[in-house]
Amino acid sequence: MVDPATTQRWGYRLLFVALAAVLLFLRLLPLDMMPATLPGPDLLLCLVFAWVQRRPDIVTPLLLGALLFLSDMLLGRAPGLWAALALIAAEFLRSRHQGSAEMPFAVELAFVAGAVIALTVAYWAAQGIFAVPAPGLSDLLMQAVFTLTAYPAVVGVSQLGFNIRRLSPTEADSGGAR
Amino acid sequence: MARDRNTQVDYARPVRHILIGVMVVLMLGTFLLWRIDSPRVERFRATLVDRVVPSFDWALLPVTRLVGLVEGFQSYARLSEQNQELRRELRQMKAWKEAALQLEQENAKLLDLNKVRLDPKLTYVTGVVLADSGSPFRQSVLLNVGARDGIIDGWATTDGLGLAGRISGVGKNTSRVILLTDSNSRIPVTIQPSGQQAMLAGDNTAAPLIEFLENPDQVRPGDRVVSSGDGGLFPAGLLVGQVALDPERRLRVRLAADYERLEFLRVLRSHAHEVIRDAGGLIAPPPPPPAPVAEAAEPAASEGGADG
Repeated sequence: MVDPATTQRWGYRLLFVALAAVLLFLRLLPLDMMPATLPGPDLLLCLVFAWVQRRPDIVTPLLLGALLFLSDMLLGRAPGLWAALALIAAEFLRSRHQGSAEMPFAVELAFVAGAVIALTVAYWAAQGIFAVPAPGLSDLLMQAVFTLTAYPAVVGVSQLGFNIRRLSPTEADSGGAR
Repeated sequence: MARDRNTQVDYARPVRHILIGVMVVLMLGTFLLWRIDSPRVERFRATLVDRVVPSFDWALLPVTRLVGLVEGFQSYARLSEQNQELRRELRQMKAWKEAALQLEQENAKLLDLNKVRLDPKLTYVTGVVLADSGSPFRQSVLLNVGARDGIIDGWATTDGLGLAGRISGVGKNTSRVILLTDSNSRIPVTIQPSGQQAMLAGDNTAAPLIEFLENPDQVRPGDRVVSSGDGGLFPAGLLVGQVALDPERRLRVRLAADYERLEFLRVLRSHAHEVIRDAGGLIAPPPPPPAPVAEAAEPAASEGGADG
């Protein structure tokens, strides 16, 4: 007999993987080969940060690591660097939510902003240190800003569309935080 | 209940931390390995892309075509306007066609008189564009032809109008083309009436920069830019585009290839030419190798002498 909470959790896990696959797919669509003047938001990062703070039981570190590494490989970035930094940032955000029951959205957004900007600067600095040919800091920060503006929308879609919201402690007991 | 959960957390947390630590170390290790031995990791990447992206193939092409169709409908709205424009252009083209035909005949006659031998015609493989780079800071596309079709790293690709990029990274069924607009792209070019050599350096904008130009005064906007074949990188004489000045008065190239709609790309098979390193190799046959081989050659030489 399978525990319904476990079934639901695996359902959500599949949904998360499917959403991430769709986002990667959309970015790979060869629609326009002209270089964009403004870099678009990194929706995958929004998705990861939004879900890891709402349902940490679904987005396990192993799943997260595999997903980020695959995106590094597919999107032609230096393999492993962005993935490692994003994983650290996601785990930091996850640890912010251990114990604290409710966090106003503004505070959450501030934490996400800090994480995204720290992640971007660290990524840029590491590429500079290892002499990887890379885009400039201003371009990367521009993308970080777009990512942050897209974050509330991703959270909204996750909450309204997929019912991804933070579990109360009692729900977490039955529905299964570890 | 609460205590039960706490003890569980006490075990789960360190395990989780170790897991995350191991993953971060592995990822950073991959990054360092890539920095030290890039070709090996890039080959792994090409293999991975080769596995993953073609499995999206069934969806990638229809969705791309569908979006193209919608864009097509938008352009139908100003159909009559376009029609007028095309008629006007067609009239001009007819005049040019006459000129081209005459020139072709003249050229053929002159070539025949001079007994000129041109480079053998390039053959090509045409591939469908499967995916783009997916990153705003990189300009590359993925083609559905790869090692299986005999594609080799470094070959030039065109879209039929002009040079589009070069192959960099070949998987079994796919290959990646770094476009001329990518910030890592450097192509040796010749600017045509003046015949000057320069480098075409992509900088993530629609029009790549011209660098290392000896005499910028001899170059005017509108000059033709073709690949120069320096360094044996590309076949020479492929059209790249036209020189243009940007607002900061730097020379750029308006690319001939239509980057708005790259659906198919031709990969030009360029085979290794005979390499001439110094003048001696051009005039005389290669000098005989020293000592041991020279001994072996001597009897043959004396035999030859006896015959004569």
